[in-house]
Amino acid sequence: MEQFKSELAEILEVDSVEMTQELESFECWDSLTILSIIALSSETYNVTLSAADVKNAKTVGGLYELFNTK
Amino acid sequence: MSTYNPFNLDGKNFLITGAASGIGKATSIVLSKLGARLILVDINEDGLQQTKLECSNDVSLLIVDLANINTIKDKVLSAIPEFGKLHGFVHLAGKPYIAPLKSVSIEKCNDIFSINTLSAIELSKVFTSRNVYVGEKGSIVFVSSVYGVVGSAANVAYAMSKSALHGITKALAIELSSKKIRVNCIAPGFVKTNMLDTSSTMFDINYAETLKKLHPLGVGEPEDIAYSIAYLLSDAAKWVTGSIMNIDGGFTAQ
Repeated sequence: MEQFKSELAEILEVDSVEMTQELESFECWDSLTILSIIALSSETYNVTLSAADVKNAKTVGGLYELFNTK
Repeated sequence: MSTYNPFNLDGKNFLITGAASGIGKATSIVLSKLGARLILVDINEDGLQQTKLECSNDVSLLIVDLANINTIKDKVLSAIPEFGKLHGFVHLAGKPYIAPLKSVSIEKCNDIFSINTLSAIELSKVFTSRNVYVGEKGSIVFVSSVYGVVGSAANVAYAMSKSALHGITKALAIELSSKKIRVNCIAPGFVKTNMLDTSSTMFDINYAETLKKLHPLGVGEPEDIAYSIAYLLSDAAKWVTGSIMNIDGGFTAQ
């Protein structure tokens, strides 16, 4: 989990993230950030996500769950 | 009286990469209908068999993983004795890579560059050897992308691989003119294929509408690209070399 949080923090351009934080609350949250998350899921976790999947995850924790259950 | 058709490909032999699906499949069918004999190349054998079923002329299948550049020469050379020498080839195989700069993987860039670009150089090298090239009226067609011409976010690796084809086209057009080989490139806009469907899921639900706006004539059909390739392979294009043709429904006119 810590590695996931670290990778996500880099994409979201912050020092660290908490599982309860809402994805839309990050300053850099935009379509390119969503694409970066899709690339991370595909290349590092071998999980194929759509933009809608990422948006529906809502929070950092929701995204973590998605990475591990999809 | 014979029918006037400067686009006739009777008696011509071509090799086509990426022939198992999408634009490659449509191009194979169109060239076949125009009379060409074809070596269909892809990594997907089932897809190649499907394409073969729809071709109306003699075709030969060659399973090649273009990411393994070192295997291309032996594979192509092994097919020539039975099939016959070639008048040209079309490099349609390609992989997309949508990733913003901050998540770009250099390893993936190398993979994309090998399949989309370096294999084009290796294929050209193999084709121009005296054991493969028939020796006259040669034509090479590369297929790039509008994103080799104009910029787009999250596309740096793909753009690198496709714009490099434009440089290769012009350099080889000069180098191979003495061998009577023309070298050209088609830069397609978005075409309705499985590759487009896969990429579209990465964007939001308004993506289809966005794509429509980018193309004044709408999103293309695979045949729109196939016809332009047929032209460049035919003798109708005998004075055309070093060209990058935008076949894109007006995408780059804006």
